Amino acid sequence: MDPYYLLLTAVSLASIYGLLAIGISIIWSSLGMINLAQGFTFTVAGYGAWLAAQNISTNGFVVVAAGVMTGALAGALTGLLAFIPLYDKPNFPLRSLIATLAISLMGGQALLWLFTPRVKALPKIFGVGSIHIGPATASYDKIGAIVCSAILLLLTLGWMKGSRRGLEIRAMMQNPEGAALVGVGLRSTAMAVMMVTGAMAGLASVLLSQTYFISPFAGTTPLVKGMVVALAGGLGSVAGALIAAVLIGFVEAFTAVQLGGQYVLMTQFLFIIAVLLVRPRGIAGMIEHSRE
Amino acid sequence: MAAQSDSQEPTAPAVPLAVGARRWLPVLRGHGGASWRRWRYPFTRRTPLLIETDFNPVTLNAERRILNPAPILWVIGLAALAIAPPQIGNNSFVLSATSFAMYAAINVIWMLTIGTAGIFSLASLATVGVGAYGSSYLSVYFGFPWWAMWLTGPLFGLVFGVIIAIPAIRLEGFYYALLTVGITELCRAFVTQDQTLGSANGLLGADSFVPSSMSDRGGLVLGYYLALLLLLGALVLYRVVNGQRLGRLLRAAPEKHEAFAEALGIDYRTTRIQVFLISSAALGGVGAFYATLLHGATPSLFTMDQLLLLLAMVVVGGIGTAEGAVVGTLIVVLFDKVFIGLGPIRLILIAGIMLGTVLFLRGGLFGIPAQYLAWRGKRRSERRGRHSSKGGEVMPEDAIEITDKQAIFVRRFDARLRAELKKLITEDLIKEHRATFGQRRSDALERVLTYFRSVAVTDKYAILAVKPFAEYRIVALSGRRGVPPRAVDDQVFTSEHDALHGVFLKRVQDLMDS
Repeated sequence: MDPYYLLLTAVSLASIYGLLAIGISIIWSSLGMINLAQGFTFTVAGYGAWLAAQNISTNGFVVVAAGVMTGALAGALTGLLAFIPLYDKPNFPLRSLIATLAISLMGGQALLWLFTPRVKALPKIFGVGSIHIGPATASYDKIGAIVCSAILLLLTLGWMKGSRRGLEIRAMMQNPEGAALVGVGLRSTAMAVMMVTGAMAGLASVLLSQTYFISPFAGTTPLVKGMVVALAGGLGSVAGALIAAVLIGFVEAFTAVQLGGQYVLMTQFLFIIAVLLVRPRGIAGMIEHSRE
Repeated sequence: MAAQSDSQEPTAPAVPLAVGARRWLPVLRGHGGASWRRWRYPFTRRTPLLIETDFNPVTLNAERRILNPAPILWVIGLAALAIAPPQIGNNSFVLSATSFAMYAAINVIWMLTIGTAGIFSLASLATVGVGAYGSSYLSVYFGFPWWAMWLTGPLFGLVFGVIIAIPAIRLEGFYYALLTVGITELCRAFVTQDQTLGSANGLLGADSFVPSSMSDRGGLVLGYYLALLLLLGALVLYRVVNGQRLGRLLRAAPEKHEAFAEALGIDYRTTRIQVFLISSAALGGVGAFYATLLHGATPSLFTMDQLLLLLAMVVVGGIGTAEGAVVGTLIVVLFDKVFIGLGPIRLILIAGIMLGTVLFLRGGLFGIPAQYLAWRGKRRSERRGRHSSKGGEVMPEDAIEITDKQAIFVRRFDARLRAELKKLITEDLIKEHRATFGQRRSDALERVLTYFRSVAVTDKYAILAVKPFAEYRIVALSGRRGVPPRAVDDQVFTSEHDALHGVFLKRVQDLMDS
């Protein structure tokens, strides 16, 4: 086993899970909602990209754009169903959590009904082959995954820092009531957040489908891993999620080399439980009760 | 003679009911002395039914009302469950009923964790799975019989509970919920990869409590009744934990009031963990029962879909009540098993019900009464804001809250009487009052004066002779002993007749203003 290869695999997987984790993290901190329908968004985006590849073109840009757009639409749908009707109702956090779970159950079954359980494969948008960087060999899809997710992450972070809408989102993260008082539209901002995070999940879906197949329940494992990363990094912190994604990627690579692939989930969970016992709000989580 | 009296039975006079009278509450007859008789559970002071005795203010009869009919409904429902499924259903129906009873038991025990202890753990089915896998493992590899599996199941549940309780000490709410989802997924990944646990097929071949000599049908019915006993045991456990010391301590420390409870000396953290461990052990026991019923354990126990179905059951019924857990389970199992021909659509339907419940109901089906009352209260106060009074008459929405219905009629009579008297007040009438002291008065004036004289003493006008035959003033009586009357205004009258007329004018003014 080549340790460089495993390391590269882990980093590329971590960058993909990091996309989901940052989505979950941003949604929690700005909307106050735990979005467990992120896995559903992930799966729907995979099917959207597959449909585009079947019917329109197998060009890489078309496939990626289709996945990202379907993801944004699915995110908007989740927001319309779980956030808009509930955000000013009593017991909102629990009710929205259950609503997103219901959406993910409904969506998974609907996809199973529409597309049958047979798995689908996306075209290789980065081509087949590999390049040598010093002692390491990197295949195109891994390099592509790392580069693409890095580009989207940088774009999103820049947009959150520099744009008017990003300012509104950050205001909503700090204090939703205060933001509403100074004229930030909670509904429109929330829909923007849901669409952006949905687009991130859509990109993650297209990138991961270069290695794995698309199936109606393909979103569960990425959702769980994304959640693990978001939890370990601290809900509400983008930087924390990035650090956690890299750390968990290293844990995964190290376990796979030393113990074997079947122990990966277990060591990951022991790692995150250890992190949470030391820091209950994650590596860089928001201060206790800050969102109340 | 009897026939005649039957035919001439006087029908009850059509008396209109006072607004807000509750016709629909069943009233038990009985002597007033019966109010002190109670059925009690042996050796305790607890009563199965809360009965309140009141005396009807009109008929003066003793009336006994059952304040909480829940125990009666529980007995009827459980009796129906005990009799109906084996009698009316075929084998698959009995199997569905068995899985209903088992899921209901799981949900009732889970309710202790998420309702009573307030720990939002989604690892309930994982605990069941650990109990099932552990006891199956002992049975398959060490030849444990079914009763030993039942004894070891809770131990596995308890050990697993201790392991997943460690993060629960530090983590709050949704961090813990997400972590338990992850733990469930971890368990699934572990059992599907481990060869000794049977990989994806599950660990089968465990001992069963059904004797091999028994027929298929007999085994199914036996399984059903044992599952029903399990549900009963779960309900008893819920009652014992939630209704006794542990539950009361935790009810004193609800979310966001923990600091206050701690100041009272309630160690809510330890209590929560205790309840969590009790429910984990019980869930492990359910897992052992599952293993003996289905001859082993399968990875389907750990799938996200099963967890979602379980959550749907709890959410539809309403989190925090045992009846919600049972009825929600009934509804979801009905959809899941009875409409099995629909394929994936039935799960979409279940998710739709779950979504609808969460969007429109605050506390599931059993939260509807409270939500309805809150809604009605809101509408009522809105209506009150629009028109607060109607000539002093009691509004229907107020009438519900007045126990003595006679007061409502008194105010209605008073309002109508005043409306009539207002028509009699004219300029001539006031002049007549000034001119006819000590003489015979007209019918209209006598009516008005009779009404004025009949008002309550409190705030009744009187005249005070400051200097007899020279200076009089109008005062209002306090109506309380020892409290002197208060002066109404600075007006001074020189004769008694002027002062009396002044009082009359004031009363007329009050009447016209009312």
